[in-house]
Amino acid sequence: MVVTLERDDVSELIRPEDMWEPIGPTPMPEIPDLRNWSMRLLKTYKPFYAPFCDLCCLCTYGKCDLTAGRKGACGLDIASQQARMVLIACCTGLAAHGAHARHMIDYLIERLGENYKIDLGMQVDVEAPITRTVMGLKPETLGGLRRVVEYVEGGLIHLVSSTHTGQEGSSLDFEVKNLHAGMLDLLVMEAADIAQIVGFGYPTSIADTPLVDIGWGSVDKTKPVVLCIGHNAASANALIDYLRANDLEDEVEVCGICCTAHDVTRYSDKAKVVGPLSRQLFFLRCGIADVILTDEQCVMTNIPEEARKTGAALIAGSDKICYGLEDATEKETDEVVQEMVDDGKQFVIFDPEKAGEVAARVAVEIAPRRKKGFIDEAEAQELAKGCEKCKAFMCSQACPNLLPIQQGMQQAAEGSFDRLRSLFDQCFTCGKCEQECPRHLPVVKIMQSVATKETFKLRSGRGPVHDVEIRKVGSPIVLGTIPGIVAFVGCSNYPAAGDIAEMAEEFAKRKYIVCLSGCAAMTAAMQKDEEGKTIYEKYPPDFDAGCILNVGSCVANAHIAGAAIKVANIFATLPSRANYEVIADYILNRVGACGVAWGAYSQKAATIGTGFNRWGVPVILGPHSSKYRRLYLSRKEEDDWTVMDGRTGQLVGTQEPTPEHLAYVIETKERAMVTIPKLCMRRNDTPPGRQIKLSHYISLYKRYMGSLPDDLHHFVRSTRDIPLVYKKEVLPYLKEMGWKEKPALSLPTLIGTYPSKVRLDAVIH
Amino acid sequence: MAEVMKLPFWRVNVLTGLKGARVIEDPRECAGLIRRAKRPLFVAGPRAIDHYFDNGKTSLEYVLEIARLVNMPTCATAHVKKRMLELGIKPDSVYDIIEIINHLKDPDWQGVRKEGNHDLIVFSGIRCELAELGLSTLKHFAPHLKTMALCRYSHPNADYAQPILSDEKWKGYFEELVTNLQQ
Repeated sequence: MVVTLERDDVSELIRPEDMWEPIGPTPMPEIPDLRNWSMRLLKTYKPFYAPFCDLCCLCTYGKCDLTAGRKGACGLDIASQQARMVLIACCTGLAAHGAHARHMIDYLIERLGENYKIDLGMQVDVEAPITRTVMGLKPETLGGLRRVVEYVEGGLIHLVSSTHTGQEGSSLDFEVKNLHAGMLDLLVMEAADIAQIVGFGYPTSIADTPLVDIGWGSVDKTKPVVLCIGHNAASANALIDYLRANDLEDEVEVCGICCTAHDVTRYSDKAKVVGPLSRQLFFLRCGIADVILTDEQCVMTNIPEEARKTGAALIAGSDKICYGLEDATEKETDEVVQEMVDDGKQFVIFDPEKAGEVAARVAVEIAPRRKKGFIDEAEAQELAKGCEKCKAFMCSQACPNLLPIQQGMQQAAEGSFDRLRSLFDQCFTCGKCEQECPRHLPVVKIMQSVATKETFKLRSGRGPVHDVEIRKVGSPIVLGTIPGIVAFVGCSNYPAAGDIAEMAEEFAKRKYIVCLSGCAAMTAAMQKDEEGKTIYEKYPPDFDAGCILNVGSCVANAHIAGAAIKVANIFATLPSRANYEVIADYILNRVGACGVAWGAYSQKAATIGTGFNRWGVPVILGPHSSKYRRLYLSRKEEDDWTVMDGRTGQLVGTQEPTPEHLAYVIETKERAMVTIPKLCMRRNDTPPGRQIKLSHYISLYKRYMGSLPDDLHHFVRSTRDIPLVYKKEVLPYLKEMGWKEKPALSLPTLIGTYPSKVRLDAVIH
Repeated sequence: MAEVMKLPFWRVNVLTGLKGARVIEDPRECAGLIRRAKRPLFVAGPRAIDHYFDNGKTSLEYVLEIARLVNMPTCATAHVKKRMLELGIKPDSVYDIIEIINHLKDPDWQGVRKEGNHDLIVFSGIRCELAELGLSTLKHFAPHLKTMALCRYSHPNADYAQPILSDEKWKGYFEELVTNLQQ
């Protein structure tokens, strides 16, 4: 038995009497329901495994070494073990977002009631495109969003169960489950963000959201400072409420790291963003925060220890992260404040309102007596002199980015800081170098002397893309005359921090639609041009060609997938209700979108990327993401690129590898620059659209690789695709390659090329 | 019996399983392995462009010299092609690192010269964690070929790896390798 919900239950939950659209073939799908779609994707985009570990250590039969064709005691081989580890990661990521959504929705229902209406403003009628498409449900209230979470929770049990010893044995079927986990993840993220938009009154139906301050230099350390870290802004927003109610909003500085920072600036534009999660330890060690208020996800797990080092107070506000602290939820507030101020006690407080109040009051009390701020170069020089220049270079051995830290320290010891400054731009202040240093040199503290103290501008998260925007850009996206949607998403484990802003600006200049979210959105804000402007000040914030928009925190990534769905649903008028395969097929073949998770580090990021893959959106990952162990790749020369022509019902061997890969790791920014335009090509591009896309591909390739693209012949279908400006160069190249015109088709689709309940005519609109 | 590389310079790449690289201390042995290969391939990564020795040469220049001496085809990954063209050399193939590894693990792939898949893949200049994971892919899924890492930080997942070397010794290793291949 694989199905948890009887079909009658499904019908009841999605309310078939609501006739907003006909119900498609897969309402509230379980793993088997979309297995064939996933297998079809995996036929073209085969899993590629790079084992990060040769062993399986998950049961007491082991450790089992799986090298050179060996199997574990349970029979599992190395490929399936990698896929299983990816599933564990995807389930962890899904659980993190799911628990966030569950907490947020329950909390808001407690405050506002389950019948509280979902209203995303005048510009957003299709309020929950993922929910509509996956579940067949149109959520109208917070209670409706709770149904989404319940459905996801049910699915998660089955997925986690599959990772137990003696369950799934096929790498491909593990991947089916990975894709399912990714789909559920984007679904539950959508529910979480809609809940917080309506429950907290975040901006919606406007593109021009406030420009907020970002950068540790923007934090006014002369005021009491509360630092919020994590991804669930309930406590941070309660803190803002308390400050407003007590006329303290201008007296107490509220700042954040990671996605809580995004979300608290959606609640109050007076809040500041310190920076992405990679600057967490760096900022904690500055001691600027008087009070640290943690919630959930991507929070350093040794914050109690770090807080004590600087004398900062600590409140943990989530059941996910309790640090072994005493629970003060039921304690008198005055008593809690007194114990924190007088005795330096740290508490966990599960009530957001109480946590917010305590944070504010403690900050006001302890700030005047604390010394805080960055060390200067003179102090840094003295500290750097402690480097004993060990021959083992232990700092570099431990550094995730393999940085020459010792050289930076030696130069700093001599009073020269340029090397250290450039290292800081690539350093994510994990502190592993300090651990391994024989003298435990305070490298992270020394870095304070070279960190810029500038204030930058970030556009606060705007939530969903508007229906009217989709109506405007739907046609040019599908025809290819807007060359693509590029979404820079994810965390901040980059090879170099400046890459994101540079890439985002390059593609905005080229009239792509550029979306950002999460830590990538923050990092992109921390670069200024010669006039002192960030990309958010230079480019319009609309979902349109040549614009740059920040959708918001991690959970707001759902709106990027939502935008692609809306192109199919609003522009192409394909019914989305419980119609996953048709919509995903449309996106894969027609919506030139490409995700770039250049610094992905977390399990959540793995899940999000995999979720986009199931919708047919390729994702480029930075080099560290090879540690995720699995990619989805094609081999353009060898693979079969046959698809169905939906209008004629004929199979067509297109010989056209678009999109070429679904999950792909790239080593350098330069290579990413040439790969992004390639992954925005789609079979549906019209000749003028393909000309535009090829024009960008060729010009970037020439810039970074010094020649015409080596695989250009694969992407030219007819001579009408060749950009006029390059025609003289391209034609001889094509002749040399023995290029022949490729078969044309009118409506590319995978429907009809694999077993499915979906009829071919369902793709015709 | 040569030492098996378990703990390379970069600790992220510590070996976890039973099969580790044989450390080739002597460049003469390294030259012999390259010379004996029937269809070797040199995969050059972007760090080979940026790494300058104190004699002003980049590691890419040593890579190209080695390839030239034994008529070994080259694969330029990332944006290495541009630098090679600036040096007046057209790479035999241009794939990104993941793509070339994906091809190599197929025993039926015909290789960059369409003469059959390669039997020895020499890597240099690829970012350390990425190279190690690529080598892991080939270790597990490409039993039909051997891999060699010419990287001074060393790679346990290769079949043959250089020992951990200082910059000076790495240059010396390259030079001795070149000298041996010239003979």
